[in-house]
Parts: sequence; C-alpha cells; structure tokens
Amino acid sequence: MQAALQALVEKARGDLAALSARPEFEAAKARFVGPNGELTALMKQLGAAPKEQKPILGKLINQAKGELQTLLDAALARIEQAEIAAQLGPAIDPTLPSPDSGAGTTHPLTLVREELCRIFRKAGFAVVEGPEVETEWFCFDALNTPADHPARDLQDTFYLPENALVANVSQRTKERYLLRTHTSSVQIRTMLKQKPPVRIISPGRVFRRDTIDATHSANFHQLEGLYVDRNVTVKDLKAILDYLFQSLLGKDIKTRFRPHYFGYTEPSFEVDLSAKHLGKIGKEWVEIMGCGMVDPAVFESVGYDPKEWTGYAFGMGIERIAMMLYGVDDIRYFYQNDARFLRQFV
Amino acid sequence: MKLSLNWLRRYVALDRPVDEISNALTMIGFEVEGIARTGLSPIANVVVGEIVTRDKHPGADKLSVCTVRVAPEATPIQIVCGAPNCDAGHRVPVALPGAVMPGDFKIKVSKIRGVESNGMMCSARELGLGDDHGGLLVLPNTLTLGTPIHEAIGAGDVVFDLEITPNRPDCLSHLGLARELAAWFRLPLQYPAIKTGEPTAGAPAVPHLLESVAVTAEEDCPHYTAHVVSGVKIGPSPAWLQEALQAVGLRPINNVVDVTNFVLMETGQPLHAFDAKKIAGHRLTIRRAAEGEKLVTLDNKERVLTERMLVIADAEKPLVVAGIMGGANAEVDATTTDLVLESAFFKPTAIRATAKKLGLSSDSSYRFERGIDPCGLLPAARRAIDLILETAGGQVVGPLFNVGSAPATETAIEVTPDFIRARAGYDIPDATMRELLEAIELEIEVRNDVTRLTGSIWNVKVPSWRGDLDRDVDLVEEVVRLHGCDKIPPTPVVAVALPEDDDPITEFNRAAGAYLVGQHFHECANYSQRSGPETAAWFSDAAAKTLGLANPFTEEYSHLRASLINGLLENLRLNQDRRTGATKLFEVGRTFREVDGKIHECLSVGFVIRTESEDAQWLARPAADFYTAKRHLAVIAANAGVTLESLRVERVAAPNAGWQPDHAATFGRLTDGCEARCGLLNLEMLRKLGLAGGVVAGMLYVLPEKVAEAKRRAKYKPFSLFPAALRDIALVVDATAAAETVRRDVAKAARAAAGGKLALENVRLFDVYQGKGLPEGKKSFAFSLVYRAEDRTLTDDEVNAAFQKAQDELTKNAAYAIRK
Repeated sequence: MQAALQALVEKARGDLAALSARPEFEAAKARFVGPNGELTALMKQLGAAPKEQKPILGKLINQAKGELQTLLDAALARIEQAEIAAQLGPAIDPTLPSPDSGAGTTHPLTLVREELCRIFRKAGFAVVEGPEVETEWFCFDALNTPADHPARDLQDTFYLPENALVANVSQRTKERYLLRTHTSSVQIRTMLKQKPPVRIISPGRVFRRDTIDATHSANFHQLEGLYVDRNVTVKDLKAILDYLFQSLLGKDIKTRFRPHYFGYTEPSFEVDLSAKHLGKIGKEWVEIMGCGMVDPAVFESVGYDPKEWTGYAFGMGIERIAMMLYGVDDIRYFYQNDARFLRQFV
Repeated sequence: MKLSLNWLRRYVALDRPVDEISNALTMIGFEVEGIARTGLSPIANVVVGEIVTRDKHPGADKLSVCTVRVAPEATPIQIVCGAPNCDAGHRVPVALPGAVMPGDFKIKVSKIRGVESNGMMCSARELGLGDDHGGLLVLPNTLTLGTPIHEAIGAGDVVFDLEITPNRPDCLSHLGLARELAAWFRLPLQYPAIKTGEPTAGAPAVPHLLESVAVTAEEDCPHYTAHVVSGVKIGPSPAWLQEALQAVGLRPINNVVDVTNFVLMETGQPLHAFDAKKIAGHRLTIRRAAEGEKLVTLDNKERVLTERMLVIADAEKPLVVAGIMGGANAEVDATTTDLVLESAFFKPTAIRATAKKLGLSSDSSYRFERGIDPCGLLPAARRAIDLILETAGGQVVGPLFNVGSAPATETAIEVTPDFIRARAGYDIPDATMRELLEAIELEIEVRNDVTRLTGSIWNVKVPSWRGDLDRDVDLVEEVVRLHGCDKIPPTPVVAVALPEDDDPITEFNRAAGAYLVGQHFHECANYSQRSGPETAAWFSDAAAKTLGLANPFTEEYSHLRASLINGLLENLRLNQDRRTGATKLFEVGRTFREVDGKIHECLSVGFVIRTESEDAQWLARPAADFYTAKRHLAVIAANAGVTLESLRVERVAAPNAGWQPDHAATFGRLTDGCEARCGLLNLEMLRKLGLAGGVVAGMLYVLPEKVAEAKRRAKYKPFSLFPAALRDIALVVDATAAAETVRRDVAKAARAAAGGKLALENVRLFDVYQGKGLPEGKKSFAFSLVYRAEDRTLTDDEVNAAFQKAQDELTKNAAYAIRK
C-alpha cells in the first residue's frame, strides 16, 4: 500500500508537470483524486486492511492526499498563469501609433464663435438664432434701409424667386424672400417676440453676392449684438466693446471709435483695433466691426417706444476676427476644409 | 472723393502736418483710404539738365554715355545712363555728385564699366514721385537749365482719397470738407466771394440765345435754373484751374467746362454748360424721354432711353441725360461764344434709377443720387459765372430762368443739452456743445424752460445742406463726433443679469458638434449653395425648381443646399487627393428642403466616413457601416428630443443618385419635425466623384421650431435592486423579416406571459444567422430576455413558466418557429 501510494504521488508529479491546459488538468485531477480516481481506489483498500494497520495506512493516505493536492494546486497555478499569458498576447510597444482615427477637430469658425459667445455670456448676453432665409422687411425695411438702397440690389443680395414660399420663415406682409445679408435681421425678430430689456447676441451665416477672393466670401459669418434698456449710452457701447477686445486679445489692446453711417443706428461708429503684440495689425489701426446706438426708427418698426427705450447694436465678421486671431491670410481656407488646416486650431 | 490740400487751403488756413489732417478727417467720419503726394520737397544738387549727346557705352549694350549741360552756357558733363529714353535734346532731372536721393542714396563721381559718370539722370521713381521707372522723367523744354528740381516741378500737393458715407453728400465737395475741418481745428472758414448778382429783374429774354425753359416732369426736377452768358472766348484754362482739376483726377478740357467741374468739386453742385447755338428752337424742356429715344453721350456711346428717364431737350431732341451726362451734340467747343448754364435739382431716386439702368455714372450723378444742397443752385451758378467771366470773358444777358423751387428744407430740431449728455453717457458742457454745433453752422436759439428747474431747451436750425439732420439723436452724433470719439471715457461693463438661456437651437448645434468631434470627426464649413442638376438628381425636379435662387452668382452655386453630404464629399475628395489622412468629416448647418413646393429651412447635421483609407494601418479595425451611422444619428437626434428608433423607417429601395439602394434607410418625415437618412452612399456616384472605396454617411434634418419644443427636464423613476434572470430565445423567421418587428412581437408575447408579477425589463437582439442548418429563405434572430421583479429575487420556476408561456404564444404565429 505504501509503495502504491508512493508510486501514485510520483506518477502524479510526473503527469501534472507535463500538463499545460485546463481540460487535461481536470482529467488528470479526476484520475488521481476524483471519486473514481486512483487515490479513491486505494482508500477503498483501507477497509480491507488489518485493523492495527489502519491508523498507519490512514496517515499514509492522508499524507499522499496532501501531497497530491499540493501538486494539483501547483499545476493549476501554472496553468492559470499560462492562460493569462495567452490572453495577454505579446507585450505592447508603447511607441506604436493607435490605428484608430485621430482626434476630431472643431472648425476654427466654430471655435471663434464659441469664444465670442462665452465672452458675451459673462456680460449677460444670451444667444438667439434666426433664419438664413429672410425677407426684405426683416433684413432691410425694419432696419431703416431706404427702398432704393444699393444693398438691396440684385447685384449684391441673393433673392429667392418672387413667388417662392418658405413654410417656416414668416413674412411681414407679402414681401420677397432673400438670403440675409447680415445677422441684424435677428434683432428685429427678437424684438418683435420679446419685450425690453433685451440683451442678445446672434451668431450666424450671412450671404453677399461677392466675387470670391482672399478676403471676400459669398458666404460668411457674423455675430450681432443688441442691448435694449432704459438709459443706454454711447459710453456703455464703448465699454462692452473694450471688454470684448480685451477679453479676446489682452489688456494691451487699443480700440478706437470712428464716426460712420448705418441706417439702423444713430450715432454709428466703426471700431478700429491696434495691438502691438499682434504682428500685422500692431502697426496701424485695423477696422474690425461696426456699431451704434439703435436708431429710433428701428424701435418704431418693432413697436418699442423710442422715448422710453434706448439701446446699442453691433456686428462683426467672425471670419475677420478668426483671421486676425490665428493669422490666417486667405478666407477661402475656411471653406476648403483641408485637414492640415483644420487640425491647427484647438 | 479726392480732396486736394492746396484746394482746401483756399477756404481754411490749415497749416497742420499731413498726418494730423489725415487723422482729423478719419476721426470726424471721413475715412482716409489713401494719400497721394505730388510735387517734391527740396533735394539739394538735383537740377534741370539737357542731354547734349548720346553715344553707346563701349562695354555694355544697354548703357549709353551722354553729355549733359546742367547750367546755361556750362560745359556739358559726362554721365553714364541705362534709361532707354536718354535722347539728346531731352531736359531731365540730373542728380549731381553730393545729392542725396530718397532712400538715402548718395550720388558720387564713379566709373561705370570703365567710363566716368558725373551724376545720375533720374526717373520719376528715383525722385520719389510715384512708381514710374520706365525711363527718365522728361521735363518741359521751357525750363531753365540749372533750376533746382523742386522749383521746376513745384512744391506739389497732397491729395486725400476719402470714403464719404451716404448720409454726407455735403462733403462730396471741398467746401463741405473745409467746413468740417475748420470746425475740428476751430479755424475760420472763408467762403469764396461771389461778384455776380441776380440778373436784372424782368430783363427780357434774348430770343436768339434762349427763349424759354419749361419743366414738364416737375416731380423728378423740382427746381431748374439757367443763366445765359454771351460773348465768351473758349480756350485753355489758366494754370491754377488746370492744376486744381488735375489734383483731383479730372482732365482739363477748356475754360468753361473746367469752371463747371471746378465749381462741382468746390460746392458739390453739378452744373452743365450748353452751347446756346446748338439748342434748336432756343427752348429747353426738362421732360421724360420718349421710349426708345436715342442720345450719344459725351463718352461717344449711343444710349437708348426709356420713358422713365429724364432728359434736357431742345425743340427737337434730347441734349443731356439729366443729371448724369451731356450729349455730344450740345457740347461746348472751341467755336462756342454763348452759353446756357444749368444749375438744377433732380430727384435722387430718379437719377439713381436712370444711372443704374444705363450703367452710367458720373461725378454729377453721384452727387444728385445722394442729394445736393437744395439751396445751393444759385450760389453755385453765380460762382461759376464769376469764374467764366474771369477766364473766358463775356457777360450775363437776359433773365434768370428759374423754374420751380427748392424742396422744403427748413428743419429745426428741439433738443436739450441734458438729452445729448444722457445719450452720450458722459459730461460735455453746454458751452462746448454749442460751440461744436455752431462751428458746422447750426444755429441755436436758447429757450429757458419754465417747467424745469435747470437746463435749457435748444431750438437748432439746420442748414439746407444737412438733410441728414432732423432728429434729436442726429445731434447726439454731431456732438460726439466733433467733440472727439477718442473722448468717450472708458468704463467697466455694467450688466444687469437677464434670466435668458441660450437658444435651444444653439445648444442642439453645440451638442451635435461636440459629440462628433468626440467621435474623431473633423468639422467642416461649406457654402449653403449647390447646383441645380445635383439638387434634381439627389432630391427631385420639384426640389430643384423650388430651391433655385432668383439671381445666382454662378451655376455651381445656384440652389439652396438640401443636404450637407455633397459639400462633405468634396471635402473628402480634397483630403483624399492631398493625402491628409482625414476620413471622417461632418458639418452642422442650415439646409433647405422642398415639401409640396414650399421651402423648409432645417437645422441639420451631416457626416461622412470613408470605409477605406490610403493609409494602411498596422492593426486592422472594423470598417464603418450603416449601423455605425445609425448609432451616431440616434445620439444626435436625442439632443433634439427625437428618439430615432421611434421614427418610421424605410429602406432606400429605388435607384437613388445619392444613396446605395438596400444599404441605406430613411427615418421619419420632415413635416413631422425630423427626418434622417443614413447608410452607404451610391458607389457608382462615389466612383464618378473620384472617391476610392465606400462612404458611409448620415444626415439629420430637424425643423428649428421642433428643437425649441424639445427641452424637458428628466424625472427620476425608481429601479429594481434585485438580480435579473436571463433567458435566450432563437426564432426562425422569413429571410425578409425585419428585426425590430420580430423583437416587438417577442417583447409583446413575453410581457403578456410574464403578467403582473414579474417584469420583462428588456428584449435585446444579439444574433442574426442565415445559412447552414436553416431552410432556404429563412434566417434566425436570437434575443436575450431580461426578467426582473421590483420587490424580490425571481425563482427559476416562475421565470421558466413565464418564458415557456411566451414561447408557446409566439409559435402560435406561423411565421415564427423556435430554433432548437
């Protein structure tokens, strides 16, 4: 018996060492220690042994059982290690590139638009949206643009055919549809919907019938601002734009108001920038946007009492600001969408 | 508008540096777009010389060896010259040794290719006179040799090129701008003295010169005046007049025409001089043209007129397109002895319409279009007569023909200094404001307001040339402008909080962009216009008919875009060809869809994914497919409050220019607020576009008004904390069966079988199989059912019972068999 036990342990030691997979291990385990295994068979012989030998044999069996278990545990541990190693595969090369597509990018015009929105948001302006297809009334008449103003020319403005119908853009009467030439039309739609005070910005796409070159694009983007309240002053207008450009370009920036003319503001100004740290524009004043105090005629067209309400409005070209901020020298790059361009702005 | 500084100084003693004047013009609202200088500042040792001989340089083909006399009677000196025009006899600028030229270039005696050269003959550019470097600047032969060049050429002038905004036609003149600058610099303004008086009242007409003037189109010509000047002698203008006109870019013609142009540029009032003998019947009529009537204008082009156009006609024919351009047939020429001088007011809109229609613009029409001073007609005419008598002789004869009258111009504005300060937002003393307004000739009458404790009311009378001023706010602009925009004080922003959120549309756009950027897409921007044929092919003929612009700029951009995919495909192609490695692009923007002949403006998100790339990867990843696109669309639609899976879906079956039939699908209908389409794009179309491999795309349309409604706050629902019990079922179904239909049937049966005691939480499809082991025309869907109770752990028995019941129920439907 003792010899048989010894032989069993030795056999198990040999067999288990050769195992590398779990099914073989389970089979071996059953063969050695399972209910029908060899150890069980030997244990069964214990009953037939003489009574006085039983304690010794029992001890031997327990000893063999212990040894077998140790061998099994070791084999299982080894197999588990092998399994994990197999699951892992070869070690990584941390310098290999990811085969997944590279990072996405936000378009620079979106980045600039959002930066402007954040700056104005801090000063209490909320973003409103308006349609790109507009009508003559919202785009021109309500903004105090005379009926024969050159901006309305077929030369400069895209029109829809006379009989065009737009299901979800309202007309004032039966006036003609066009592609908005500025985001100022959103001022009108907002004021018609909402009672003062109003403090909004409206970024969006606008259209001019321009020949496309390095500085002109037939589609481009503007950001319109409007503040209506009691006792709004020219000084307040200067303050918000100084705040804008200092937020955008730093405290060293200088702004200059220059008298100008727009039908929808009185007084009207153009704003020039000068920034020593901004290369090209550092040397001279660069025109950046237009603004002014809302003309009483505009208030009248939306039913605000110009005796009670005052306000300012401003508008800027998002492309122009983006070109200045990033140093882009050709507006067409914004609409070409070469990834080598797009990846530069994050 | 070109403003000559020499000319300006006739009216205001302006001795400031050019930079300061330029800055002043800009700061009072007349942006300086360019400054041109003529003439020379003194340069020592540069004199007028004459080339005496010219010989070829012995050692260089392109050089000449000249001898040049640089003082009367002096011995000529030798100069080597490379200019093509250094011919003997020319008088040219000569820089002698010791001269320092612009750009700090010092002239010395030197040897050029072995030949001694004692100076340099100069081109215009070498003197700093513009860009001409084609040859030597050839000077008039009347100049005395040895004269310093700056004396020969003259001290010159500075000409500002100004942008005059449309509200300020009064400043399309030297006097108008002089008035503004005088106000800014607080200098007196000197109007030119006028000698000519009113013609003798009731003087009889001189019938052989001009018998009558009649206006039959009073609406377009409210005021017309004519003087007759007899006995003029046409000839060249004096030098001062020629120089003045040349400075502002006008070509001198003869003394009379030059005077009318001078007065136009001085006062802004266009004038027209007729040769009296060319006026048939000695009668002028201001009338509408007859339809088809013809006139050859001064530029020698025949103009065909319409009945909307205003002409000045004689008894037989039109002589002038009123306010725009004269005809060749009544031109003042060398033979003219008697003049009729017109000074009139034409309606701006009438002139604008005619000028536009004829495609003809002139200095006169530009001013009439913008509005001339309605009271400036006679002063300008008299000023011109003064100058005609001075330069061409003659005398005024007959009466003043004066038809109609100036349109009403008396404007008075009531304003208080407090109002101006309140609108400006900063303090400007009453006295300062008053000084500023009076400087531009506004007359202020101060009334003390008895109803107020402080302050006064100003009654401000506006001069006739300032038609742009008629409201109190207009005076705010004048004060702020003349006080100096640079004096608007800096101040922090004061912002009262307004409880408004950003527009839900903005938030939707942001969320869509952020998601796709997070999914490694590049955001693009494309034009909102596409071509007609493409719109017809991708959508319909009706769409192409409805979405066309009335006045497109080019055929490729003639229609409002109905999809973002087309632009993105062009971007993919560009990135493919340029090997940038970008294969995933998107755009967020407005699109326009036609439904029942009506345009619907939509918010939209479009994306494209190339399924292949030129850049092989060391490790393969599964390519994108319909299901990739569907997932992206579902996430984006959710931001607009739309559940994509809840929309009616239809596979694209019919041949389609854009999408690959059977490999793309449409979700929902635009008229219900949301429509989406995704899948594989038409492979043939992609091949034609030059895109290699496949492109998977997605396009979501949402009506803006739908997004505005979408905002809802979520409400918490409790969920079970007990374990789930899972059962799998595989059904054999027709190969054509739609997965979602079957899934719903399974869910319905299982839910019914579960009853109220245990909840069927979810039914999820996890396998689709077709092929070996299944009959022809069949496939199998395998679903995983998740059971869970809210209040306890489910027992196997109850789950098994419910599951069995569900299977029994399902197989009652002949379309379904359990796959064993």
